[in-house]
Amino acid sequence: MALTRTAPGRARTARARPPGSGGSGWRRRRDVIGLVFALPALVLFAAFAIYPMLRVFQLSLYDYNLTSPPVWVGLDNFRFLFGDERFLASLGASLFYVVVTYGPAVLLALVLALGLNTRMRGSAFVRLLYFAPVATSWVAVSVIWRLVLQPEGLLNQTLNTDLPWLTSSTWAKWAIAIAAIWKEVGFFLIIFLAGLQNIPKDLQEAASLDGAGSLRRLRYVTLPLLKPITVVVLVMAVIRGFQSFSPQVVLTGGSFGTEVINLFVYKTAFASARMGRASAVAVLMFILLLMVTFVQLRALRKSA
Amino acid sequence: MSAGVMERTASPSRPVSRKRRPVGKVVVFVLLLAGGLVFASVFLYAALSAVKPADEILASPMRWLPSQWLWGNFALPFEQAPFARYYLNSTVVGVSVTVLNVVTCTLAGYSFSKFAYRGRNVLFLVVLATLMVPLEVIYVPLYALVFDLGWVNSFAGLIVPSATSAFGIFLMRQSIEGLPDELLEAARIDGAGELRILWHVVAPMMVSPMAALALFIFMTNWDSHLWPLLVGNDADHQTLPVGLAAMQANNLGSGGIPMMMAAALLALLPTLLLFLVLQRKFVEGITMTAGIK
Repeated sequence: MALTRTAPGRARTARARPPGSGGSGWRRRRDVIGLVFALPALVLFAAFAIYPMLRVFQLSLYDYNLTSPPVWVGLDNFRFLFGDERFLASLGASLFYVVVTYGPAVLLALVLALGLNTRMRGSAFVRLLYFAPVATSWVAVSVIWRLVLQPEGLLNQTLNTDLPWLTSSTWAKWAIAIAAIWKEVGFFLIIFLAGLQNIPKDLQEAASLDGAGSLRRLRYVTLPLLKPITVVVLVMAVIRGFQSFSPQVVLTGGSFGTEVINLFVYKTAFASARMGRASAVAVLMFILLLMVTFVQLRALRKSA
Repeated sequence: MSAGVMERTASPSRPVSRKRRPVGKVVVFVLLLAGGLVFASVFLYAALSAVKPADEILASPMRWLPSQWLWGNFALPFEQAPFARYYLNSTVVGVSVTVLNVVTCTLAGYSFSKFAYRGRNVLFLVVLATLMVPLEVIYVPLYALVFDLGWVNSFAGLIVPSATSAFGIFLMRQSIEGLPDELLEAARIDGAGELRILWHVVAPMMVSPMAALALFIFMTNWDSHLWPLLVGNDADHQTLPVGLAAMQANNLGSGGIPMMMAAALLALLPTLLLFLVLQRKFVEGITMTAGIK
């Protein structure tokens, strides 16, 4: 870690128990104070993270509309979901979004990181151009992209086409993916750049002295060493992908095959007041994300 | 982790390949620059659309520059929507959440790194485990809880559930861990209480991680949309993302495009400027979440 500052010389001698401290009793009192320091965070966690997390499992087995008491329905919510075309479609929309957005975004970020990881006059400026969308807000970006994706908007005029990006089932999901790639590339670029800088330079130089060209160095030195970071990036990409909500709300309102899981849960819970059913989706999402993360972490361990 | 992405690349790294292939490097650089300009063109397009007369925005063929520069369009969001209210709400919520996070996470980080009570590691692991669960998974029961507490459409509902974060606790614990115990012991010998030590010894040396945490939390909160939509959707509690989305929904297809572009730019400006000024800290924040040290 960053902070390994040396203590003032005097402090060395202070390792001994402070005089008159009364041994272990004093220590125990101090540790209790230490525990008290963690309490604000722990109480907040217990109330607003742990409790809801346990409750989501419980609620998924009930029919609950927030105002009247929950009614036990067992696995009915899950049974309903697996037969519900709208739910399955939203699962498909989320999967499509994750793959089509984050696949290219991660790949592009990797390529850009490899290109930007050199010392060049002006490369700091170029990095900024790619980072900027990361520092903005999703809703604001989506409002802007609504205009970009208009039939007479920037995208069509640049490509010299007149595609109905936001009003057709064929194009809407691609349109959102394009906007999302633009927004997210910089995020993964930052992580890849940090990862690249942690690769010891002497390894590169040794390979280069052995006569390895830049492509061979990339293939046999850089990419293998970047693997742990790549796994982190992929896990984050999947989680971020399934969290998507704002671009669908602002760009299409979930029409034209862009109703992703989050939007489905939102509508089920708050428009239809089906809290139990929405909780069942959350449970399924939780299991899905856990599985994906687990598989990716295993892949990392195997390769390491 | 101390040196961020920005700083380290600025040091001479690979002189060997640089000398050998200057032409290739220049080509790569030009390509990267061109790509970056394509990225930036979206911002430019939005900015120019914000000051155009409404009927020029979707003209075909497209013209980049407006025939007249209507700077007054930037006043439209304040005149035709309660934009100042959105801004105020976002600022109040963002600042409160940020301050609370810095306080609770520093306290917990200090606790988890420098004290030896029973169950400490288990508690820390539980906190870390929640990092894996996105808010989206729990927001239904979380809403039910906040509903029962009577916090729907209140600042409490917007602020309190976000007042601490697993990421922040992790970041502060890792940072404080590196602080030598001798320093704390010395202060104890001088008779300082634990709170005094935290305030006068620990905190001054943790300014950097605290700043990275503050920035990251503020930016994340400024972007937050789903939760504020649930617990702050009345006129008095809408934040920028909620208000902006509502403005967009009410303006579909009408002549409100300059207003929407102006509003979007005004909404993303604070975090963008913050990022430009403090980018190294922000990058530190992101790479810390990714678990890179």
